Amino acid sequence: MIAVDQLRYVRLGTQDLAAAIDFAQRILGLQLIEQSDDTAYFRSDLRDHTLVYFRGDPADRAVGLEIHGREQFEAAIATLSQRGLDIVRGNETACGHRKVRALASFRDPGGNMIEIVLRPLNSGWRYFPSRDAGITGLSDVVLRASDVAACEALWTTVFNGRVSDWVGEAAFLRFDDAHHQIAYYPSSGSGILAVEFAVENVDLLMQNSYFLQSAQVSIVHGPGRRPTSNQLFLTFAGPDGMLFSFVSEGDRISGDKKHRPRQFPRTRSSFCSWGSESAIPEFR
Amino acid sequence: MINLQDVSYVRLGTRDLEGATHFAVEYLGLEIAERHKAALYFQSDEREHTLCYFDGDPADQAVAFEVCDKSDLNAAAAQLDSLGHAVKVGTASQAAARHVEGFIAFKDPSGNGIELVYRPRHTGKRYHGSRDAGITSFSHVGLCSTDTVRDEAFWTTVCNARVSDRIGDAPLLRIDEVHHSIALFPAQEAGIQHINHQVETGDDVMRSYYFLKDRNVRMVFGPGRHPTSSARFLYFEGPDGMVFEYSSGVRSIADELLYRERQYPFEPKGFCHWGAKPQIRQFQD
Repeated sequence: MIAVDQLRYVRLGTQDLAAAIDFAQRILGLQLIEQSDDTAYFRSDLRDHTLVYFRGDPADRAVGLEIHGREQFEAAIATLSQRGLDIVRGNETACGHRKVRALASFRDPGGNMIEIVLRPLNSGWRYFPSRDAGITGLSDVVLRASDVAACEALWTTVFNGRVSDWVGEAAFLRFDDAHHQIAYYPSSGSGILAVEFAVENVDLLMQNSYFLQSAQVSIVHGPGRRPTSNQLFLTFAGPDGMLFSFVSEGDRISGDKKHRPRQFPRTRSSFCSWGSESAIPEFR
Repeated sequence: MINLQDVSYVRLGTRDLEGATHFAVEYLGLEIAERHKAALYFQSDEREHTLCYFDGDPADQAVAFEVCDKSDLNAAAAQLDSLGHAVKVGTASQAAARHVEGFIAFKDPSGNGIELVYRPRHTGKRYHGSRDAGITSFSHVGLCSTDTVRDEAFWTTVCNARVSDRIGDAPLLRIDEVHHSIALFPAQEAGIQHINHQVETGDDVMRSYYFLKDRNVRMVFGPGRHPTSSARFLYFEGPDGMVFEYSSGVRSIADELLYRERQYPFEPKGFCHWGAKPQIRQFQD
């Protein structure tokens, strides 16, 4: 069993880097820490960066997860290879781009690109965002998969993931005491559906809601509260059809034995206990 | 000094008693306590009723405050009379219709119908609304004021109200530890400006927001959070243009000696620190 230490970053390809940078700074309120002709790095917390936009195919999206310790890292590569997954070690350039010591990538059974990394860079400098969105960090990612069960099995058998809850077939997976770091939604498509940043509290969430409205950002779900994780959420559309969310509060699951995964029906009220509705097919 | 103990009930005239009842029950979530041919009584907490809709002119409105006992009521009547307010003493049948032991009626300086009552009836039967709105109590009223400075003086010198905060010249007034039980808003004419019910949690405010929006109830302000009282709120329109508010988490002023009222600007950010913009005439410049 290989322990996933934490969610580190999301890398998103875009054809219009300038628009993506504008969105990340002005709308999300992240801190632009490094920019080259074809890449922009954004910080959201004490991690060096948690969001990268690079010039490329918008379908090219990857999630970075940190594995602690070289042994664990090598064991992960060996186990994934044994299971017949095509795992590719990153070369020095690729590691340099990601600011990590070692990198290996593979696709989960849903076709989502996953990168496992060793010793990713942290920052000694305090996070200082471009606007006061109250972001406290990258919280979780929402992935699409045609076969959620196969993805779930990968994370719960090779890695230390545990199922926190299900809504219909959608599965919420945790690697520490947060309710989930990865959520899988059944979908005909694949790739990252949403990237979620935590904000300080309900005030910030609602202030962001009114801010996004005034900035004419398309809000696709919420503000609401998830009955599963008890998180407050607000989901909105970003560049290239990518969704972003602000989330806040939410249950912590400590002491494994007490929490048993719960099954919720796939109805509107299982996605939001306040009653908000979404036109996004995965959230219906 | 008239010692107001609590805000008791609101009486509203309407030409469409059936429509008003539908709103109060299905949307607002109150419980019918008593049904008469020309009046309906609604329960929202441990009191027998806190809202009454009666067949009549929608301009015919009154808000009632509780005083301790009969002698306080008589003293209040004498004081108001000496100040030149026309005081009407309620008859036994009028008192019975209000579920109180006795009452007087008068107009505040702006012309709002005010009733002072003693021994309003409580009930042993628990409030159980028709929908799970999470209402915990009828809590305060907003009143239209044609001169907020004059009216603030009336409520704070003739009565026992104290200013908790001001939004522009609009004072929020408390008569107990609750941040405000009366709020005065500048307006051209008298009238009840809004009627507030407290709900259990911020979640209840949001649930009602989606519930009412789905049913095409007109939202006029919020969801939001008042920087003054720190309560989360939602304002929406009911029958005859009356504005109703749900709120949760109103500040309690425990230390009378140390508390000082604060001044907020009369603009959207003085009313909401989430960024909502009011569609309510009296909250706009």
